[in-house]
Amino acid sequence: MGSAIEVGRLLRASSREFVAGCRVSQLNAPAFGALVSVPLRADEQLYGLIYDIQIADDGLVRQLVTSENVSDEVIRDNRERRIVPVEMSVLAVGYAQNGQIRYLLPPRPPLSLDAIYLCDPDEVRRFTSGNLGYFRHILRAHDTLPVGELLASHLHQAAGTQADPQAWLQRAVQEIITLLRDDYATLMEVLSALREVIA
Amino acid sequence: MSVNYQQVYSKIREIRSQAQAHQETLRQRREEARRLLETFDHKTDWLRERLEETLKVYPDLRCAIPLEHSLTARHPLPQTPPPEHTLLAADGSQIAPDRHAAVLFAMINIGLIRLQPGSGQAPFIFTESQLLFDEELYEDGDLLSDGMLAMRRDLRERALLVEHAQKSPRPAIALTDGPLELWGLKEAESTDSYRRALEEYLRLLRSLRGENVIPAGYVDKPMANLVMRLLEIATLPTEKLKDAKSSYPLRGVTDRWLFGERGRPLLRAGERSAVFGLQSRSRQFYREEIALHFFYLNVGDDEHPWPVRVEIPAWVAEDPTLLNLLHAALVDQCRQMGTRPFPYLLHRAHEIALVSYEDKRQIENWLTIEQRSMGWETDEDSAKRVSKEGSYR
Repeated sequence: MGSAIEVGRLLRASSREFVAGCRVSQLNAPAFGALVSVPLRADEQLYGLIYDIQIADDGLVRQLVTSENVSDEVIRDNRERRIVPVEMSVLAVGYAQNGQIRYLLPPRPPLSLDAIYLCDPDEVRRFTSGNLGYFRHILRAHDTLPVGELLASHLHQAAGTQADPQAWLQRAVQEIITLLRDDYATLMEVLSALREVIA
Repeated sequence: MSVNYQQVYSKIREIRSQAQAHQETLRQRREEARRLLETFDHKTDWLRERLEETLKVYPDLRCAIPLEHSLTARHPLPQTPPPEHTLLAADGSQIAPDRHAAVLFAMINIGLIRLQPGSGQAPFIFTESQLLFDEELYEDGDLLSDGMLAMRRDLRERALLVEHAQKSPRPAIALTDGPLELWGLKEAESTDSYRRALEEYLRLLRSLRGENVIPAGYVDKPMANLVMRLLEIATLPTEKLKDAKSSYPLRGVTDRWLFGERGRPLLRAGERSAVFGLQSRSRQFYREEIALHFFYLNVGDDEHPWPVRVEIPAWVAEDPTLLNLLHAALVDQCRQMGTRPFPYLLHRAHEIALVSYEDKRQIENWLTIEQRSMGWETDEDSAKRVSKEGSYR
């Protein structure tokens, strides 16, 4: 993990999802739909997809927005020094144990203050080279998450790490169609979003 | 329901029934205050003499000492940008010893923030948390009172400001929330510990003069009507000066109203008043270059004037360059905060210093665990505390 980019630390977690907090200065790294990992032990790590990024406010921020002229120092103070973290919500999509990737919920959630890392292209390729069964974790959350946008964003990022991006995208779309064959409305919504990333 | 709302309602009805008469009295007193202000506006020499006469029979009097040629002098917001300077602010909070808690301790927590306006850099932030335990909880044989703890906190705030100001580019402005005068209960002022703290504070305040550091106490929504009190004294006949202690013919008319009356404020947006000396019981301690002075500053806008009091030592009051720098810096700081003007840096210092109830509980648990692990005899929360908090630990 020496060269991996740390994007935040864990605030709270359950088996299905977790929330990480980060400073605003760390926010240029993580993106909606990005694959992140949390090392749990030396031989075990958890994978998840960022499905929401929230910028919290508080009384001071609400007051400052009413000012006509907020200085650069005040803006940097609020972004870099104050305890108002950016919160990233992450959906658990699998884990790795002894080098073997499983598209199952992790045996246990990460703990408070565990570091969250952005997966590099090699790791993304490794995670997405299996049977893509982790899509079911995303689709299961279609009532609460913007699954079409999330899949579109994830597919766009993951395809770029593959040796043959088009072939991988076709396989991914085929998998989505299979999983949503009994849910026409959601399938149409997801395919509509995917049109943005599939030429 | 723990409040007898019927009783409160009756009282509110009574207040309401008197509202009209109250407003009429206030209107008449305000009219009188305006008249007196006009009468004495330029008679500042006479007012000072009258004040000296009053002090002979009422030395504890707290009011303004007129220094400039006019009571209503106004100074506009300096138009030229202030030179490069450093702004520092410190604030503190404390945990007082709680005899109902399982473990007896106290804490003084100071937050300090330093900023270079115009640098584009994030400010420097510093927190000092001083845990007091065992013998440290006693002063002159008694358990630290709330007042003594507050005084120690104030002293530490100011010591840290001096320490950090000395390490900062000058000129520097060192802000504290509230009066510049060290806070002290009347009964505490006769104690050895108060005198020691005061001497240390006076030494710190004096040391700033040679360091090009401007100390200032920012009093938001000031309650002391120092200029009004001066006018009240002015109206008393010489033979009645001995009754000054109980004579308040302008009660209810405030300095805030005078300098910031909606529709016709004495100070327009961004303006500061004349500088006044501060007459108070502690004037005997704050002498010569650190004699306390103040001015009012309208940090609001034309629709919503908001006069605040700014306290400074004599050597700042006598230097127009330093006064202008402080004036411009405070207005700029307040304008950062939008519709509720208050120096941004003071707000942040408060935020950094604040100790929450959860923090207190955390430290309490930590101390108890450590004591147990060392085999110390430990106590429990009092039954009263447990009952009040509704939890059994």
